[in-house]
Amino acid sequence: MTLDTTPDVTGSDATNVTSGRTPGAVVTAFFDAYRRHDVDGMVDLCSDNAEFSYVPFEAWGKQRVLRGDGKVRTIGKAIWAGLIHAFPDLTVDVHAIAESATGDVVAEVTIGGTQALPWGAIANRGRHYDEPHLFVFRVADGAVDGITAYWDGAGISRQLGHLEVD
Amino acid sequence: MAAGAGAVVAAFLSAVADHDLDRAFALVADDADVRLPAAGVNGGAAAARGFLHATLTAFPDLTVRTRRTVVARDGTVVVELTMEGTQAGDYLGVVNQEKHLDVDEGWLFRVRDGRITAIHGYWCQNQVYRRLAVRRLDQPAIV
Repeated sequence: MTLDTTPDVTGSDATNVTSGRTPGAVVTAFFDAYRRHDVDGMVDLCSDNAEFSYVPFEAWGKQRVLRGDGKVRTIGKAIWAGLIHAFPDLTVDVHAIAESATGDVVAEVTIGGTQALPWGAIANRGRHYDEPHLFVFRVADGAVDGITAYWDGAGISRQLGHLEVD
Repeated sequence: MAAGAGAVVAAFLSAVADHDLDRAFALVADDADVRLPAAGVNGGAAAARGFLHATLTAFPDLTVRTRRTVVARDGTVVVELTMEGTQAGDYLGVVNQEKHLDVDEGWLFRVRDGRITAIHGYWCQNQVYRRLAVRRLDQPAIV
């Protein structure tokens, strides 16, 4: 099932005193901003030092491996902006959001789009992809304080016609 | 219910880590919603068991290390874990070169009435292929 509208957030009764939003509502607002391609809005929902980890991001060089780990305001913002730039019709479909009693929020989300520009090592062939993602958020004091995401990069590469394992 | 859900998933993963799939899948409903997109696996408990059997057979020293667990109030449990092992046999079309595998993964489970009713596994198959020295997605047997 794919939802284009804001999903129900299951399991929340811990409204944050500072923001008036539950952790699940903060994450829902984050994906609303993502759906609008509002990268600044996404970043504004995160704390200044929010941690960021896009696990599949990995580039093997001769001396070291570069990973998609760091801070939202540096690594995350650049990755989101680059993705939206390369896929200007990017869609973000949230299937389910659930939250714990301690402010952790998990979400299953399908992200997709039609390539209009080269993206990383993937040349533009004008192809479309849709790939399921798992997000794990840590929310504290009404702001996202950590984002981790998992997906199959090979699935995206295959859909975009990039068959080399870089 | 949520705390119970976390214990059920912990018991499932402990059994997988012990390479005891009979014990693991005693906790899974036969008609569980199984989605492992990186492996192209969709189906019920048998589909998940088949995938894990192939993985444990190809990596007989496989370890499963839980890094973080989120237990939601609705019975959803997400486990961030690392699977690590050394290839000892052909695996999903990849010939054995005795390469070492270590991949960070996210697994989402749903638990109802003490049984696992959904298993959704997320990892990057490109990361698996890099570690196993596969060069092309369309030719995993050629290294």
